[in-house]
Amino acid sequence: MATTRTLFDQELAELKTGVLRMGSMVEQAIAESMRALVDRDNALAKEVIARDQDVNELHRQLRERAFMIMATQQPVARDLRLIVSFQHMVLELERMGDHAVGIARAALRLNDMPQLKPYIDLPRMAEITESQVHEILGAVIEADQDKARMIAERDDEVDVLYRRIWQELVQFMVNDPQTVERAAILLFLAKDLERIADRVTNIAEDVVFLHTGRIVELS
Amino acid sequence: MQTEIAPRPVADADAEIKLDARHVNFFYGDFQALEDASLAVQARRITALIGPSGCGKTTFLRIFNRMHDLTPSTRATGEVLLDGHNVLDPDTDVIQLRRQVGMLFQRPNPFPKSIYDNVAYGPHMLGWSKSRINDIVEQSLKDTGLWDEVQNRLRRSALNLSGGQQQRLCLARALAVEPQVILMDEPASALDPIATLRIEELMQDLKKRYTIVIVTHNMQQASRVSDFTAFMLMNQRRAGEVIEFGPTDDIFNRPKESRTEDYITGRFG
Repeated sequence: MATTRTLFDQELAELKTGVLRMGSMVEQAIAESMRALVDRDNALAKEVIARDQDVNELHRQLRERAFMIMATQQPVARDLRLIVSFQHMVLELERMGDHAVGIARAALRLNDMPQLKPYIDLPRMAEITESQVHEILGAVIEADQDKARMIAERDDEVDVLYRRIWQELVQFMVNDPQTVERAAILLFLAKDLERIADRVTNIAEDVVFLHTGRIVELS
Repeated sequence: MQTEIAPRPVADADAEIKLDARHVNFFYGDFQALEDASLAVQARRITALIGPSGCGKTTFLRIFNRMHDLTPSTRATGEVLLDGHNVLDPDTDVIQLRRQVGMLFQRPNPFPKSIYDNVAYGPHMLGWSKSRINDIVEQSLKDTGLWDEVQNRLRRSALNLSGGQQQRLCLARALAVEPQVILMDEPASALDPIATLRIEELMQDLKKRYTIVIVTHNMQQASRVSDFTAFMLMNQRRAGEVIEFGPTDDIFNRPKESRTEDYITGRFG
């Protein structure tokens, strides 16, 4: 059957490319914010914070583009689900970018103080969330709902690590009031990573919606 | 844990079926225009027939009250059950059938008579009393939202009304003989957007009492007004078929057939 909506298809393809570009920018921001912490690299942390403006601007452009397509093309069925999902995905990605900024700001503060402890669980937690972000973008490209569901399930691993880190840092604060500031900052940082994983789950739900038209709760 | 939120319930297995078309074939002479078309129309719901030009939507609609009888050399086979009675049976009282199954056409077609006479025409032919006719004229004009606009000029020509008013007058004329089903063949295609919306709002009121089947080319209209949608398409023999039928929410959001999706997303051509 011949395609009769060439321009519309082109607009959808451009929207999808934009979402994936935003995803890769956020993925890089998360990785570099963690590297700024582990390597105590203040310059890198500042770069992550500065580059968040680019993520925000792309977010604005993609929302405008999606709105314009909806207003002018009256999409239905899969087309409508695609645009609605993309709108939600870019919102989640923008918030992930904010979490990366949160990590970078935490790194800047922590890097000025003696390191509280060797970072073991935090990089592990970051590694899982980074891989979740990377893989969920793959699931978006492939519109693979099975893959999306599997990625969402990894949120449990992140939650386990978060609870372990939380208990350990609280113990530090109880045992030595001198550690309270650093431990509190690390707690917020861990929370940022935990929230990124939650937002990956939200995107996984969008992928399922895109494929099935059903709104599901994967958390 | 993964929990699925239940989808909105729509189709009711025990719902009352008002019109039940079963394996309907239709011929203009030797040309088959409709092939094995089936459709179960729920009572007091709006069912939309959509599909590209020439797919047999209007042909299918006109079979429901035997309007095709007015076209020479036509033939319909299969069954169209109205409350269990096959309207295609030769012994069907066609006048009575068309009273039960009224029709609204693409273009408003008021008689060149007064507003009052247009609505009173059917009841008058049925021999109703003057007072009953007066009551039904007022009620029908109220039901179509026209009463406030025309109550002071009921004896004026219906042809002086605007297009949207004329179409609502034609609807009032159909309602005046107390039908059970109203067939609408692109009822708003000749109207401006405001008049179109008035017709659509009226349909929502009317479906509380009547069963409505509408043919429309306007897919946004079908998705806005209908509870159920049937997608029709011409097959390789150029005869119309029902490709997919279901709750409008499913047809426009999660169609099962790729041909339906191609059509509603505008990729059919």
